[in-house]
Amino acid sequence: MTVLPMSANQRAGRDGAQRGASGKNIRFGDRWRGYKSHHRATIRESLGKLLREPLQTLMTVAVIAIALALPAALYLTVENIQQLGSNFESSAQITVFVKKGAQPQAIESLRTQLDGLSGVDSTTYISAKQALLEFKALSGFGSALRDLDENPLPAVFLVQPAVSEPIDMGQINRLMTKIASFAVVDDVQIDMVWLQRLHSLTEMGRKVALALGATLGLGVLLVIGNTIRLSIQSRRDEIIVIKLVGGTNAYVRRPFLYTGLLLGLFGALSAAIMIYASLLWLSSSVASLADLYQSQYRLQGLGFVGFLGLMGLGGMFGLGGAWIAVSKHLRDIEPK
Amino acid sequence: MIRFDNLSKRYPGGFEALKNVSFEMEAGEMAFLTGHSGAGKSTLLKMLMLMERPTSGNLLINGKNLNRLSNSQIPMYRRQVGVVFQNHQLLLDRTVFDNVALPLQVSGYPSSEIGRRVRAALDGVGLLDKEQQKPIALSGGEQQRVGIARAVVHKPRILLADEPTGNLDPELSSEIMALFRRFQNVGVTVLIATHDISLINRMQLRIMRLEEGELSDDGATYVS
Repeated sequence: MTVLPMSANQRAGRDGAQRGASGKNIRFGDRWRGYKSHHRATIRESLGKLLREPLQTLMTVAVIAIALALPAALYLTVENIQQLGSNFESSAQITVFVKKGAQPQAIESLRTQLDGLSGVDSTTYISAKQALLEFKALSGFGSALRDLDENPLPAVFLVQPAVSEPIDMGQINRLMTKIASFAVVDDVQIDMVWLQRLHSLTEMGRKVALALGATLGLGVLLVIGNTIRLSIQSRRDEIIVIKLVGGTNAYVRRPFLYTGLLLGLFGALSAAIMIYASLLWLSSSVASLADLYQSQYRLQGLGFVGFLGLMGLGGMFGLGGAWIAVSKHLRDIEPK
Repeated sequence: MIRFDNLSKRYPGGFEALKNVSFEMEAGEMAFLTGHSGAGKSTLLKMLMLMERPTSGNLLINGKNLNRLSNSQIPMYRRQVGVVFQNHQLLLDRTVFDNVALPLQVSGYPSSEIGRRVRAALDGVGLLDKEQQKPIALSGGEQQRVGIARAVVHKPRILLADEPTGNLDPELSSEIMALFRRFQNVGVTVLIATHDISLINRMQLRIMRLEEGELSDDGATYVS
């Protein structure tokens, strides 16, 4: 075996390149094209590496998916309860009982007073006679009522307060005190304490979801970081050689960042699928339950924005975990 | 081109691998670095590759002090240097072509340019027909030549070789040396670390000898 003498053609190529540059003056356009094609190749390679070890990849993705799906599902539950609460909120009414025997003019002036209050959205008047008719129709005590000489029911104003999110109970209480001070008002009632409790509960649920999300997010970061660390171990030599021939840290990092990103995105996608599947499973029973209560209430899904948010979080955790793992390794091999 | 100025390297634990080493090499010069194992040859090459930094003293390349280069500037510096390793350091899961293409890929060359240059380099070491093979399928001498093609594909101004003929028989060694000579002829500064005395004596080149980290002899062309 002998080494071939340098061919004429090759010598020309070498000399030409020698005159041109020693490898530094690459045109910007060429560099950009090279950069883009390198990114494409790196994505392909990262994807290929993940697919070549399907079991390992599947397990990592499943862990990420569960860790993302749990807090997302909890958050969704809280959102749905909140939704349920606000359905009732809009029907939160103050009932104003008018004193028995109030003169029609007094009632009329009370109506004007109520309409003039700030914080009142609308008022509805139900006269004593109307109330009796309604009661007869709904209660089934019609025949018993017929025996009474006198209508026992008072006239009522239904006041719809202008509620803002979240409900300001102080404001509503002030409104009620004000109404109670009017001349012909007998009593003022509202049943909103349970709504307030629901509010506190959903607020707490949201915080629990956030804390759980943060904890499990840290878990995702560690899982991806560890997966990347193993992948770095198996490519130690490659990293050393790349660094020795002048590869930058960014170049070394790139395939691992793509691997982390892909793992995070696959995990988030699987989490979204898990959530959609459970919603599908739940929605028919929720719908029939809501129908029993004559409610139009339906389960709220992630929605497009929620889906994007989940994917964004998954991608960010993936990138972050990979970044931490590679940076640590790169620091370890810096010259001393 | 290369100037060592009173350079010392002490490892944590107190071992002094290099003690006050000073020498200069002109652009286009070719020289041998010799000495027993552990005399500091590899450490000296690592200094030139910026794989390690000196404890004291300076190393100037083309007038630039390497001590002043930050870690983020190291890649740019390394792109001017080619290295041939004793154990060739080829990536076994990539083809010969991809191995040789690596220095160009990390520098961001477009793929058409990479193909042209890689084939020129492989042609130069006589392995153009092996470009699609994996390194494991090649003989020791062929693997070493792939390593050389990778070291020169980006036209470095300095070529370093650490025991390039370590496991090769004399005939193959001579072929490798002839290759280095050709790069020297186009202006590359070549420094070869070896303890293969018979090889050194056949070449009639400047010899620098390290003994326990000190440059004990510089300038002879023959070792007895």
